[in-house]
Amino acid sequence: MAIFVDKDTNVLVQGITGRIAAAQTKLMLDYGTKIVAGVTPGKGGQDQFGIPVYDSVQEAANEHRIDASVIYVPAPFVQDAAFEAIDARVKFMVIVTDWVPLHSEMKIKSYAKTKGTRYIGPNTLGMMIPGQTSLGGILAPAVKPGGVAVVCRSGALSNEVAPRLAEQGIGQSVVLGLGGDPVVGSRMIDILKLLKEDNQTKGVLLVGEIGGTMEEEAAEYIEATFNKPVVAFIAGRTAPRGKAMGHAGAIIMGERGTAESKINAFQSAGVPVAKTLWEIPSLVKKMT
Amino acid sequence: MRLYEHEGKEIFKKCGIAVPLGILVKTPREARQATIKIGKEVVVKAQILAGGRGKAGGIKMANTPEDARKIAQEILGMELAGYKVDSLLVEEKLDIANEMYMGITVDDKNGVPIAMVSVEGGVEIEEVAKRDPEKIASSLIDPLYGMRGYEAINLIRQIGLTGETLISASRILSRLYNVFTSYDARIAEINPLVMTNEGEMVAGDSRCEIDDNSLFRHPEWQDLRIQRINNLWEREGVRAGVSYADLDGNIALMANGAGIAMALMDAIKDEGGHPACFLDAGGGLTKERMKNGIGLLLRKAKSDPRIKVILVNAVMVLSPADAVAEGIIEAIKEVQVEIPIIVILVGKEERRKRAQELLKDSGVKLYSSTEEGIREAIRIVR
Repeated sequence: MAIFVDKDTNVLVQGITGRIAAAQTKLMLDYGTKIVAGVTPGKGGQDQFGIPVYDSVQEAANEHRIDASVIYVPAPFVQDAAFEAIDARVKFMVIVTDWVPLHSEMKIKSYAKTKGTRYIGPNTLGMMIPGQTSLGGILAPAVKPGGVAVVCRSGALSNEVAPRLAEQGIGQSVVLGLGGDPVVGSRMIDILKLLKEDNQTKGVLLVGEIGGTMEEEAAEYIEATFNKPVVAFIAGRTAPRGKAMGHAGAIIMGERGTAESKINAFQSAGVPVAKTLWEIPSLVKKMT
Repeated sequence: MRLYEHEGKEIFKKCGIAVPLGILVKTPREARQATIKIGKEVVVKAQILAGGRGKAGGIKMANTPEDARKIAQEILGMELAGYKVDSLLVEEKLDIANEMYMGITVDDKNGVPIAMVSVEGGVEIEEVAKRDPEKIASSLIDPLYGMRGYEAINLIRQIGLTGETLISASRILSRLYNVFTSYDARIAEINPLVMTNEGEMVAGDSRCEIDDNSLFRHPEWQDLRIQRINNLWEREGVRAGVSYADLDGNIALMANGAGIAMALMDAIKDEGGHPACFLDAGGGLTKERMKNGIGLLLRKAKSDPRIKVILVNAVMVLSPADAVAEGIIEAIKEVQVEIPIIVILVGKEERRKRAQELLKDSGVKLYSSTEEGIREAIRIVR
C-alpha cells in the first residue's frame, strides 16, 4: 500500500449531501476513488451520484467494508462524526471541514490515538495517491504518478505546487494536505515516518508555513533518522508578528513559529529551502 | 478572541476562583466613587486587550479616592500598546506575601491541553522559561478525561508547595481547567496568583482567550468579537466571511487558501512590492464570497490612495467559472473605483476559458500564470 490508502481503499463520505461534499465527491468519483457509501443522518435510503446514503456510519459499515472516511459535516458536528467513524473501526479519516472548534480537535486527536485511527485535517484539502485514489479535493490535472511525496500544511498550496512539478516531469507518490489548524491529526513527522517505509517515495517536498513547531520537529527527525532527500518551502516569511494569516495556525506569537526558525532548522538538517514557489521545481529536480 | 481582565475575572468568580473586590469604571468620577465603596487602598488598572500595561504606565496605586480620581483622569484616553484606554478596573489592593503563576493552554506538539505552574508569578512566564526553566512545572492533560484532582496535586507539588497551600493551589488549578474547557479557551491564565498575608489565594490578573471557532457555543461573545476588532477593514473581513489582515502596502491581495496567500505575499515583497492586505477567501468559492472579497478590496482601495492595484488569485477547482466571474463583475459594478485589477485564473482549461469569456469586457487583466500576474502588479506599482 502507498501511505494510508491505495486504489483498493473503500471510502465513505460523511455529510455526502452537503454542497462542498457533493462537489468533491464528484471529483473523487471522476478520479476513480472507490466511494462505497455516504452518511447524512436523516437522509438514509437516498442516493448521491448512485452511492447509497445511510443514517449512520455503523449502518454503512454493516453493509460495506469501509477503509477510510472523508468527513465534510459542518464544524459543530465534526467531533461527533469523527468519534462515530472511530467507533465503527474506520482506520483512516480525512477531515475536510474548516472552522472546527479547538477543543473538539484536541478530543478527536486523543480519541483517535486511543483507538488506533489515523487521520489528516481538520481544514485540509485532502490527499491523493496519483493514479490510484483521491480523498478530498486535490486537483487531478495537477498531479502525475512518480517518486516525490508532496506534504503541505495548506492544501491549496499543493494545488499550486504539484502542477509546477508535473510541468518539469516530476511525478508524485502522494500529494497531501495536513490541514491549516494548530491541532491536526498528522504532523509532518508522522507522515515522514510512513514515507520512510514507502517504496514508491524517493524524495520528499515539505511545504510548511509560519506558526507552531511542526517544521522544526520534522527537521530534527530528518537529521536524526530520515533516509531520503528532502526539499522544503516555508510560506509567510514576510508576515507581521501577532497577525493571524488566514489559518488559525499561521500566527507568529512571540518567538515561536517564525519563518527564520523553521528555515534555519531545515538548513541545519541539510534540507535545501526554496525561497519562492517557482524555485521549488529546480530544487526538487536536483534532489531526485 | 481575547477577553478583558475584568471579563476573565468575572468568569473566574463564577468558577470558584477568588478575585479581588473590583469595580469597572469609565470616568474619573466613577473611579473616585468606586474607591470609596471599596473602602481601602486601590489599584487602578487600564483595561486593554494586550499585555505589558504595568510597564507602560497603565497600572497605578491610589491611597485615597481623590488619588484614584486623578490617576483615572491620567490613564483614561491614554494609548497603550495600540489601544485607547476607555475603561479602568478599580480593585482593592492585596497584601501580597507571594506570587505564583498558573496557566493552561494547548501543547503544540501533542495537540492536547498543557497545565503550567511556577512559584515565579507576576512576570512573563516566557522569561521565566528562558531564565529558570526548572522553576516551571508542566503536565499534559488528556482532554477526554480532563484534569484529575491528583494530577493537579502532583503538578503543584513539583514546585515545592506543601500542606494547606498545596491543597488550595491544586483546587484553583482544577477550577482553572474548568474555565479552560467550559469557555473553549485557547489560553486561561492567572498571573499572578497572589497568596495574601492572610493566607488566601486570589487571582491578581486574568488572561483568557476564547477560540474563535467555538463562538457559536458562546453567543454572548460572538457579536463582541467583531466589535472589538480594532481595524475597520479587519472587522469588515469577518462580516464578509473571509480572513483578512490589514497591511500597509500598495498591492491589495486576495487568494483562495491561506498558504497560497502567504506565498504570494512573500513573492510580492521579494519582487520589491508591498502587500496592502492579506485576504484569504477560502476554498470552494461561491459567487457571494468572491463578490464580498473583491468588494472589500475595492472599498479599501477607494479609501486608501496608496493602493495602486488589486491582485486576485482565483482557484476554480470546486467553483464554477461563472460564479467567480459574476462575483468579480458584480463587485466592480457595486464599488465604482478606478483601479487596475489583475486576476490569475487557476483551474481546468475549460473553466479558465469560460471565465475569460465572461470577463472579456470587464476591464480586468487576466493571467493564467501566477508569476506573470505578480510581475504585472509590480510593474504597475513601479
